[in-house]
Amino acid sequence: MNKQDPLGRVVATELKPSTPHQFHFWTARESPIGIGAIVRVEENGRVVYGVVTDGFAYSDLMTPMHAVIGADGDPVAAGAEATVRAEIRLFTAAVLRQMPEEPLQPVPLGSVWLASDADVVLALRMDAYAGGDRPTGIPVGLYAAGGLESPVYLDCDFLLGPEAAHLNITGVSGLATKTSAVEFLLSSIFQTFPTHKGSVAAVCFNVKGPDLCFLDQGASLSEEDERQYARLGLLPEPFQDVHYYAPLKPDGVNLNSLRTNEALAANTEPLVWGLREVLDYAEVVLNRDDIDAKADAFIDFLAERVVGREYHDEMLRGKPFHVQSFADLDEFFRSIFDFMEAMGRGSEVWRTHHVATIRKVRNRLSNISTRSKGLVTDDGASNDLPWGRFDDRSVHVIDVAGLDPLAQDLVFARVVSKLREHLERRDLGVDHVVVFVDELNKYAPADGPDTYVRKMLVDLSERGRYLGLVLFSAQQFRSQVQRRVVGNAGTGIYGRMDTDELAMPAYGTISAATKIKLATLPKGELMLRHPHFTQPIFVKFPRPPVLNSREGIERFPPAAELPFPDAVARQMRRLDRRVSSEAVRELIDGRRDDDVRRALAATRRERPADPFAFFTACLGRRVLSEVPAPRRGIPALKHADDAYGG
Amino acid sequence: MNFDAIRRAVRLQGLTPASVLPEASGGRLEEAAIRPARLTEGEALQTIAIGRGEEWPGSVAYLDGIQRSEILGYAGSAPLFGATLAAAVRERHERRLLTVLEARKSVVLGRPAALAAAGDSISALETIPLPDTEPGHPLRDLLNAGEAVDQSRGALEIVVGNQYRDRCQGWLVVDGALSVSPRWAADPRMVAISKSHSILPFEGADLEQYLRLPCGHRSSVYAPASRSLAPVRAWGLRLWPWEGKDLLYGLVRVEVAPENGISEQANTISRWIMTDRAPVSAPDRRWDRLLYGMYSVEQYLKARG
Repeated sequence: MNKQDPLGRVVATELKPSTPHQFHFWTARESPIGIGAIVRVEENGRVVYGVVTDGFAYSDLMTPMHAVIGADGDPVAAGAEATVRAEIRLFTAAVLRQMPEEPLQPVPLGSVWLASDADVVLALRMDAYAGGDRPTGIPVGLYAAGGLESPVYLDCDFLLGPEAAHLNITGVSGLATKTSAVEFLLSSIFQTFPTHKGSVAAVCFNVKGPDLCFLDQGASLSEEDERQYARLGLLPEPFQDVHYYAPLKPDGVNLNSLRTNEALAANTEPLVWGLREVLDYAEVVLNRDDIDAKADAFIDFLAERVVGREYHDEMLRGKPFHVQSFADLDEFFRSIFDFMEAMGRGSEVWRTHHVATIRKVRNRLSNISTRSKGLVTDDGASNDLPWGRFDDRSVHVIDVAGLDPLAQDLVFARVVSKLREHLERRDLGVDHVVVFVDELNKYAPADGPDTYVRKMLVDLSERGRYLGLVLFSAQQFRSQVQRRVVGNAGTGIYGRMDTDELAMPAYGTISAATKIKLATLPKGELMLRHPHFTQPIFVKFPRPPVLNSREGIERFPPAAELPFPDAVARQMRRLDRRVSSEAVRELIDGRRDDDVRRALAATRRERPADPFAFFTACLGRRVLSEVPAPRRGIPALKHADDAYGG
Repeated sequence: MNFDAIRRAVRLQGLTPASVLPEASGGRLEEAAIRPARLTEGEALQTIAIGRGEEWPGSVAYLDGIQRSEILGYAGSAPLFGATLAAAVRERHERRLLTVLEARKSVVLGRPAALAAAGDSISALETIPLPDTEPGHPLRDLLNAGEAVDQSRGALEIVVGNQYRDRCQGWLVVDGALSVSPRWAADPRMVAISKSHSILPFEGADLEQYLRLPCGHRSSVYAPASRSLAPVRAWGLRLWPWEGKDLLYGLVRVEVAPENGISEQANTISRWIMTDRAPVSAPDRRWDRLLYGMYSVEQYLKARG
């Protein structure tokens, strides 16, 4: 059959009529048409594009009984009939586009062709944005059917705003579809996001294992992958400007991350926050029962009047408080409690705050520094993302995989809030930021309490596009995510799906055949919804150009957890390769761990020209210990007349 | 009234109960008759087991035709009829049937006076005059028209069959009789299968034996007492068990050229036909005698309008 020959013909009956949104066509038995194929119908100057959503095959057999009779009840004989029954391949297609658009009419009963490259562009309305002087197309994958292969583009105005925004990916775990798709799409965005649309950066939360730990390391791709990259007009290169942030372990010096290989240390740094950073987001880490009007008022009092300021209260103590850290805050609380105890019975209120409220807030806040030890420091020194200095096409990965869920919430809430604040002030350094969050069902569950994080995600999904703050989210079960969050995602990607999930009402608009295809989708293929596409489209995409987690861990195995002196030495060497580990170990020998940690944090924060000298200065003069001489005892008085004296 | 109890009583009386008169098994009922045939295989009528079915050797094709007629109007009291006739050959390739030949035509039938009265309105179509030797009677004309359409369709089938034979020497199975054409009657690669039994070849005990052939059995070969001058050989063949249904159920008459009328060839051809029982041609109500190949030709012609 010639490629220009029609593959089928539209048929319409009273029971299965053609409508403006759906039509049916038959093909030869051996046609290359399958679920998801894009077809073109032409008749009398009218062109209709459709995507195949269902398929049927049946013969002229009226009842199975006739098949049994014809084979004398022998299934073997049934397959050996001299003549095969007449049969039909009947397909149902959903209309993608009609040309002309008006008047909108039922699909004509014309011939059906498989869509060519040019047809795919028109069918998906990509002609409006993928070409011209100022194209806004972002390659997302290849549509393939019947030996044809056409690039499919997303409109960045509808992916990163301002027209629509956000992207949600759903699919079962273990097939690497979700992570791979995001990595590939981010690479595509970074390579093709048009300069006239401004600058873009990405902030990714690594929430499990080493998923996103090797974005700066190139993968060895197959020829087929490289061919697909070429077809999409992309270069298979890893991200060039990647920064990793990971909290420390409770020892305060080892990184709480799987990206601890020495070879990757150059762009991996600790994420450390102090009291100020945490207190602004206290609501995140306090559960619903904790947050009442009284506790809220006291936290506000601390934030507004005490933390980071000079607070003076003669009743508590003579000298003013300078609360900079959790340690300072604890001292402040102790002063309050000492004062109230000194006041005795009857004084249960301090500055209108009841002692029970004060105790509750103290317990909860000190709990934060305990549960988030490594992320939150007692000493107030912080190491944070480069707010205001984000570079175009930079990726910032925050590894929270090893953190307590409470601390994860804290990180997530603070980072997103800071991004929003800076984007509102237009001083982040870039115009658009893509925030990637995996396991969205954990942060914005459909059921459960309305947490701060969930409220923030809803707000982000509803208003973020005006700011250039774009949420790329992923989860295994879309139905378990807050509807407003996924509903606001202009673009939806579906990898292989669980059949139970597909049985949920949310997937009611997807045909049974498409569901079957989704349930058996191979790695590297996905279904795509986008505002320009009136129907979901299946595309395949190449392997992302970066190491996957398994390869990354094999090539860059995590360094063993080091003893305290060695871990400090490694961090110092990260700041200055000339620093000798031996010198660091010798310097900190005999020092208190807290002092070392404090000096290290200060060095990290200041990034001085000579880190070792600065570190040494911060440690201060060594206070030599000396062993006091044993005190001489006072000799006992002896009385001769004492009958019991010795 | 439910006659099941009567059927049981009939059986107890030693009779053969029946429940279904096979569709179109009678052919033209007005022609129903016994025309004693001459046995050409053995001295007495035999019931012969044919053995297991076999596939047709080489290519096989099926020829059939359809007709559709309707009344167009009246010239006075004389009706004018329109008829569409079609015939086609479908050939089996790799177990699939493909149309290789097709012919179609439309005709107008009526008494000569009625045709003349229609004038230019039917000038584009072939006309077939109906007999006008008797006084006009619309229902008699209807019967005559039916007969004429049958003949015309038969003629069209002969044309198509001959065209096929001119281009292919494979086996050709036709619906009805070979004796309608001397060429067909002499063709050693043609087989006709008749579903109707308006003319039966035996009487008395032989007829009873003929009509009670078990499934997978044939009668002795005989030379039908045909009205046509083309001699052929024929035998009865039971395709499906008739017990509990009707004597004519699953019974076909097979016609072949005389040279195929020897015992061994009759058995072989019968085995080929038995293989063609499946797939059954249901939902056609004649499926017990209608081969799927024939059914396929009819469906094709009907689908083409």
